[in-house]
Amino acid sequence: MEQILATTLRSAAPLVLVAMAGVFAFRAGIFHLGLEGLMITGAFATVAVGDTTGSVELGVLAAIGVCLLLSALYWWVIGPLGANVIIAGLGLTSIGLGGTAYALGAIFDVRGSLFTEVVLPRPVRNITSGAGVIIAEHSIFVWITPVIVLAAWVVLRRSRFGLRLAAVGEYPFAARSVGVNPSMIRLQAILIAGALCALGGAELSVGALRNFTENMTNGRGFIAFVAVIFGAWHPIGAAFAGLFFGFADAIGIQSQINITERVPREFVLMIPFVLTIFAVWLGGLWRRRSLEAEAGYAELREPDF
Amino acid sequence: MTSGLRRAVWTVVLVVVSFLITALILRVSGYSVGDVFSGIIQGAITATGASTSTIRWAIPLLLIALSVVIGFRAGFFNIGGQGQFYMGACSALAISLGWREGPAGLVILCGTLAAMLAGVLWSLFPGWLRVRFGTDEVLTTLMMSFIGALVLQYLTAGPMRNPQGTGQTAASERIPEAFRLTGGSGVSTTVLLLVAGVTVLVWLVLERTRFGLTMTLVGRNATMARWQGINVRRVGLGAFALSGALAGLAGAVELYGPAARLVTGFSPEVGFTAVVVALVGLLNVWGTVVAAIFFGGLQSAILFLPIVTDLPPPALVLLHGMVAFLVTIKFRAVRRRRAAGAEAPAG
Repeated sequence: MEQILATTLRSAAPLVLVAMAGVFAFRAGIFHLGLEGLMITGAFATVAVGDTTGSVELGVLAAIGVCLLLSALYWWVIGPLGANVIIAGLGLTSIGLGGTAYALGAIFDVRGSLFTEVVLPRPVRNITSGAGVIIAEHSIFVWITPVIVLAAWVVLRRSRFGLRLAAVGEYPFAARSVGVNPSMIRLQAILIAGALCALGGAELSVGALRNFTENMTNGRGFIAFVAVIFGAWHPIGAAFAGLFFGFADAIGIQSQINITERVPREFVLMIPFVLTIFAVWLGGLWRRRSLEAEAGYAELREPDF
Repeated sequence: MTSGLRRAVWTVVLVVVSFLITALILRVSGYSVGDVFSGIIQGAITATGASTSTIRWAIPLLLIALSVVIGFRAGFFNIGGQGQFYMGACSALAISLGWREGPAGLVILCGTLAAMLAGVLWSLFPGWLRVRFGTDEVLTTLMMSFIGALVLQYLTAGPMRNPQGTGQTAASERIPEAFRLTGGSGVSTTVLLLVAGVTVLVWLVLERTRFGLTMTLVGRNATMARWQGINVRRVGLGAFALSGALAGLAGAVELYGPAARLVTGFSPEVGFTAVVVALVGLLNVWGTVVAAIFFGGLQSAILFLPIVTDLPPPALVLLHGMVAFLVTIKFRAVRRRRAAGAEAPAG
């Protein structure tokens, strides 16, 4: 049981970090389907730069830098250049997945996995029995994840930026009429999202593991997006949804070890997707709120095909 | 220039820009762009069997892209083609393995119909949620796609796994040779006629029937269509069903053609690439045909490239991503920006 809870925290941390990214984007009225691409870029950049320089801090900084750059490009394409948010987001995901796998071959001349010695610091170690196992051996990013969730909540709820963001997401025309430039607010939200994805990716590659593997995010960016919807685009809600999906993942891993073949792993892996369909359906029924948010991204989504 | 021609030129410009950016990335990371380019030409057109291979990859892309086109016409984003394609292939496989002794023609017919039905069911569920409850179909079709991939993974690793299989990746048994419409090349007269027939049929439905017209009206302005007495829900469901049937058909063609058995996670990019194909083809049937052959050629080339260069194959995914990232940029937005100088339009 302790092992399952420990695995839950480890699986959930990257999901929750990326889910916070999704919350910021969603609040700005952007259906950010590029989270997966940014996450894997973060995972790769951390390992690539961290392993080359031998410093995990530099690796994480580089990951944040690259993700900020990609996010800025994403903003430029969907904002000023008027590209479709969803298609460009999926394109960003492919750029991330394809680009990192390509770079792995082109720069490091390996196929599959790149192992590294650098790893994020782990504050609590060497507990092997009792309830302490739950909190042992986690990277520093697992510890700061709750802080980031609370910070996201405070920023969204209490800061000037958070309130402007809400205005831009729900009714950009009103925001513009009081002198707020929706485009700039969206840029800031997308940049914050990019940085958070970098952290989530770094946790995945050098926090929980010590390698980068092609396609290692394996849909986690999408699951994080799902957590945003399932958590009703509230930071706390999304964090709990992320925690729940982490738990489902932990159960899946455990069932593979202990009770093989009783519940096929694939069905456990389906849980987040099935729940999302349910959540999206419920959200659609909950008309009043979703309509307002929809008006926001309708401005960006405007089909011009 | 007419607006249609202008859009076509603009799309070509954007695709060329995506290629140039990707070429720049290849150049910076030390590959000779000239070698890669000549490798692509060889792998797509000139090498032995290359043009066949191009057509082989263009076929699933075309069928799924047409399914995307139909969705877009009616105003829906069906981005779940991958899952519908997988479910189609799985159903056709189930029929073919379950009825090995059956007469080949009948089994193939039943398998193909089952595949289309599976595609329809896989797309109709999100479609029904959309027209009945207004549930956003972008997310639900995407989720159904992930679920479809997991169902395939489950079937090939469990119930349908080839017991004699020794490979690392889970795969099903092969279907009897008699049921195959093509050899390993994936191209034969039967398949080409089938695909050409389907394409013409889709064009006829979209451009020459009442249903196609109402679909376009619903896609342009659902409210207006409703006021004109069109049953928007029924048209929406019809569009989703037709869309799913095409993606399911692509699964059957893949199985009875080049694949002959199903491997877990086969053709993982085809669903997404098909969306890109449909957009590059300007959501027009003939444009989509051209785009599908073009992207089929790239797919074929990337499989050939390892022979002439050591370019890592994921470069293709990068390129597709780049095209998708840029292809929906609006001509108007760019021109307006240029006219306004440094001042970006608000919002």
